[in-house]
Amino acid sequence: MLLQQLVNGLAQGAIYALMAIGFAMIMGVLGLVTFVHGEVIMVGAFAGFYAITFLHAGVFFALAAGFAASWLLGIVIDATCYRPFRDAPHEILLISTIGMSILLKSLAQVTLGTEQKLVPDLVGEGFIMIGDVRILHIQLFVLAVVTAICIALQLVLYKTKVGLALRALSMDKEAAALHGVHVNRTARLGNCIGCALGGLAGVLLGSYYNAVHPIMGASAGLKAFIASVLGGLTSIPGAVVGGLLLGVFENFAVAFSSSSYRDIVAFIILILVLLFKPSGIFGRKGIEKI
Amino acid sequence: MRHMVKVLALVLFVTLLSSVGSAEDTIRVGLSAPITGNYAEFGENFKYAVQMAVDEINAQGGLLGKQIEVVVMDSKGDPKEAATIAQKFVQDKSIVAEIGDFTSTCCLAAAPIYERYGMVQLSPTSSHPDFAPSGEYMFGIVGTQDAEGPFNVKYIAQDYLGLKSVAVIYINNDWGHVTKDRFVKAADENGLKVTIEQSFLEGERDYSAILTKIRDTNPEGIYIAAMYNEAALICRQIKKMGWDVKLLAPSSVFSAKLLELGGDAVEGLVTNTFFALNDPDPRVQAFIAEFRKRAGRDPNLHAACAYDSMMILADAIRRAGTTDRAAIRDALAETKDFPGITGSITFTEVGDVVRKYKVMVVENGQWAIKRDYTRD
Repeated sequence: MLLQQLVNGLAQGAIYALMAIGFAMIMGVLGLVTFVHGEVIMVGAFAGFYAITFLHAGVFFALAAGFAASWLLGIVIDATCYRPFRDAPHEILLISTIGMSILLKSLAQVTLGTEQKLVPDLVGEGFIMIGDVRILHIQLFVLAVVTAICIALQLVLYKTKVGLALRALSMDKEAAALHGVHVNRTARLGNCIGCALGGLAGVLLGSYYNAVHPIMGASAGLKAFIASVLGGLTSIPGAVVGGLLLGVFENFAVAFSSSSYRDIVAFIILILVLLFKPSGIFGRKGIEKI
Repeated sequence: MRHMVKVLALVLFVTLLSSVGSAEDTIRVGLSAPITGNYAEFGENFKYAVQMAVDEINAQGGLLGKQIEVVVMDSKGDPKEAATIAQKFVQDKSIVAEIGDFTSTCCLAAAPIYERYGMVQLSPTSSHPDFAPSGEYMFGIVGTQDAEGPFNVKYIAQDYLGLKSVAVIYINNDWGHVTKDRFVKAADENGLKVTIEQSFLEGERDYSAILTKIRDTNPEGIYIAAMYNEAALICRQIKKMGWDVKLLAPSSVFSAKLLELGGDAVEGLVTNTFFALNDPDPRVQAFIAEFRKRAGRDPNLHAACAYDSMMILADAIRRAGTTDRAAIRDALAETKDFPGITGSITFTEVGDVVRKYKVMVVENGQWAIKRDYTRD
């Protein structure tokens, strides 16, 4: 049973990891925590849902729809929450993301309805058995997609000029600007990539649990935050490890006590990391935590 | 500035006048329901059904020569909001009684306020056994888990499905605890083995860990004490695991939405109800047709109960012959063999109803009536 729970935890953790990567990306280029990531994930999930139900799209089109919708949302968020306040104190941006999150959540409830919506199975219902352990096709699919995205992201970050600019910006804003990095444009790009990854994670969440809901963003955003804090906030490999660990811890919490302890474990991890290793597993020293 | 004050005073005066005017020729009934939030669909059903009952009564000349008016307030399914609404309703002298709320938790939170100010709280759906006994002014018509739990054990798990062992998964709130407790108690008394009891928090989406744990105890059936949203997800995740287990659930899952959300994963699921769309009774069919026309969807048990609540309340006001809050309470308590669309309704000493049920099964994506005990 422990192995089975480990598999469940890894699949769930992979989705957390993808959300956390997006979060870490945004955190890196902006230098601050965003509170709107949960709603970005929700919008991505709904975009995927509508692509599947109304356009009868296949699984990859649904993922693309979630990616694109959240990318566009990233542009809107950048233009309304970040760009106008780029030189303002950090608190202002923080609060504007909270406002944006409330706006999006309420807007979704008003326009999309308050009911939970059913997401059809994207990859079929089968599973494979390895010994006593049952691995669902959807779990394999989630793991494969997240791995592919991680590899693609590393390639972009380390093999392209844009990636170099993103990394430079994440390390030091002023120094990057002095070396000819267009700060605003690069920050927007980083934010859009982060959001789009969140959107992908939303589509995966929806098809993994067969459900999307306008208020699903709140818990998703918190889990992304916890996973990236665990990994060191701006570190992308850290976010992956943080997400996987969080998923596994949560599932073990359910296995050993009860389902009600799932979130308790997640938040205890957050508090312990902040207390004893504020830089996270892969974090750089001296980074400011909010 | 002085102009402003004058205009404001005038506006205030006019609104005061108009509110006095409306209070005189209408009887106002409060409706507290989750119009938005997690239970929004149920709240909307309340609104449609109560308004339907009111329109019907008004079309026949109203009550005591007056028209009825419904004052709807949104509790969002939040007990804090329900308590605030209760405060507003009891302070408003023009409101004679209240219908609501949807969840037992909200009803219980508001109960002390209605009780203190002597206003009837008639809940269409609170099935918590503590609700109606919590005060003189508290009434519930859905029947409590005291009756449903043993029915589910004896008539569904044992007679219909022939189970020897069952696992229980339940939502971690007032309703879930009571539903689980009554079921487990009845199971112990009747020799049905409960292999494991597992709770989950409201809004949970991932049941794989909890189901893996339950599967390890190897039960023949699984009793899903949840609303249809969660129940549908649980059934889907059970099916995904490739687990062939008998599914049974309390009446909370009896909804067309369960079929839609659950698809072929809920095939064979057994539950109970006292209101079914395929009930041949012409009054029930007339209610269903009118509800469909207004809401654009099929009514569920909760909608039917909300309709009956308004009808019972109107009947009590008619018998009381006055809109005095205490007189309405006394008349309501005397309700006996009221012919509701959900069956015959008689209040017990404490203000709830002992229900009889039909056994419902999902067959080929439809609800089928398998056995009917409501006429026993």
